Amino acid sequence: MSNPGISILEGKYMVTMDQYPQQSKEFTQVHQFYENLQEGRLTTTRCRDCGMEPFPPRILCPNCHQSNLEWVDWPTTGTVVEFTEEAMGIPLGFGEPPLIHALVELPGKKTLFTRIVNCREGELACGDQLKLAVFAVDPVPQEIGREVVQIKRVCYAFEPVR
Amino acid sequence: MERKVCIIAGGMSRWGAREGSQRDFFQEAAKACYEDIPGLNPKDIDGLLVASAMTERTSYQTHLAPLVAENVGVQPKNLCARVELLCGSGSSAIILAFAMIKAGQADVVMVVGGEKLNTPQKWETFYSQLASVDHDWDGPQGIGLPPPAFAMMAKLHMKKYGTRKEHLAAVTVKNRRNASRNPKAQFQTPVSLQEALEGRMVVPPLTLYDCCPITDGAAAVILAGKEIAKDLTDKPLVYIRGTAQASLSNMSANIPNLTTWDSLRIAAKQAYGKAGIGPQDVDVAMTHDCFTISEIIEMEDLGFCEKGEGGRFVFEGQNDLGGQVPTNTDGGLLGCGHPFGGTGIRQGLEVMKQLRGDAVQQVPDASIGLTHNLSGLIAAHTLVVYGKEAA
Ligand SMILES: [Zn+2]
Repeated sequence: MSNPGISILEGKYMVTMDQYPQQSKEFTQVHQFYENLQEGRLTTTRCRDCGMEPFPPRILCPNCHQSNLEWVDWPTTGTVVEFTEEAMGIPLGFGEPPLIHALVELPGKKTLFTRIVNCREGELACGDQLKLAVFAVDPVPQEIGREVVQIKRVCYAFEPVR
Repeated sequence: MERKVCIIAGGMSRWGAREGSQRDFFQEAAKACYEDIPGLNPKDIDGLLVASAMTERTSYQTHLAPLVAENVGVQPKNLCARVELLCGSGSSAIILAFAMIKAGQADVVMVVGGEKLNTPQKWETFYSQLASVDHDWDGPQGIGLPPPAFAMMAKLHMKKYGTRKEHLAAVTVKNRRNASRNPKAQFQTPVSLQEALEGRMVVPPLTLYDCCPITDGAAAVILAGKEIAKDLTDKPLVYIRGTAQASLSNMSANIPNLTTWDSLRIAAKQAYGKAGIGPQDVDVAMTHDCFTISEIIEMEDLGFCEKGEGGRFVFEGQNDLGGQVPTNTDGGLLGCGHPFGGTGIRQGLEVMKQLRGDAVQQVPDASIGLTHNLSGLIAAHTLVVYGKEAA
């Protein structure tokens, strides 16, 4: 008799343990963020009542606590404030070391703590310009009615402007 | 009338990369705790709080408190629940037990916390940490494990205040030496400054010696109202004088300041106020040295030294035995290890011993002690102030 626990480890794992978020409308009310991201846009929600632009996007304004929100585009280029190159203990799914992290200042918005891709070890310096990099990640098989549909997913990082 | 609340006993399992399951460690910690208070029949414990962060992930077990109650042989009738605040779970459980006793809703509460963090394959231990940050927004950026975030804080602190690698290493040297005198600690060997400086790089500027390890283990303490406490033990009573817990942000983009921890400053102000003391009154402290840079920033934001002076304060031995405020006298996270839910309880246990006067590395005449837990990406800070006298 097969052992279902072990067979999961040998093949696939639970979707609820995936490192990337669920992106379908059935599983998140900010699915628009991911739809925008697929078009190369970095967006968040702006409160029409008080003007606050929290990141990540919300369905409730954390400042005035109303839900009168709209989607706005944020800059897709920014400047390296600080960075570090992680050599050990990198979680599965993030490739071979080093895993490069940077604080990226988006002008007029926030400083994001992001992953840097398409970048060689030793290449990055403080003050460098970076741009948004959008990439596909594994789709999620999701039951919709009796069908199992592959839900397309994306993620973002930043990469050097060359 | 509100009651005075005492911490009257404690014990812990051996901490480390352990053989055994989480329920084994809870039983070991409970046994050590019972042995510290022969006057208490565990059947008279009427409340149990269990602190554990990763039980669902690494042991696939929810509804942990009744399971632990059954395993440690207690039958609570006023309180039985689990408390979760990642690395701050243990202190959170202590402050909630304190409040329940103070309010007369429970009389004798056992607080036990711990984890089985190691998994049959190491990748799963690391991967599980993606659940501990904002999974949807920080996890995909690869900052599920904390070292990169603290490396960034160290870099910024060095740039802004002139903190040096030697200052970071001095924290490790002190805490590893203290741990080498604690038979329950994960690390039993001290390290020299030179060794600490030449450690294998994890994420610059942090080496293996700058990071606390992955740890299995548990710790337990018992809290009781003053009048009951006097009947249960002949040891000097240690009171909880004040507690606080603060959070201003969670996701990395929303941390107000990486080198001044505003939520720690808020929590410290609250806890000092409730305890009726100031930072200059603290005789001994257990602070959350998950990384060397953490202890340095904590010395500043707890008010033990000026902002930016933390590195020099530590390097000069001001938070070592014989200094202004001996810190992590039992080895801290860097020496004892860090089974998330167990840490705040281990800290409370060591402060209790220091104030009772029976610590292994006793601070002479210690009468005020403090514990500090941070959790997540410096997202929440939990403080408990203990005293030989009630507030
Ligand atoms: Zn608003």
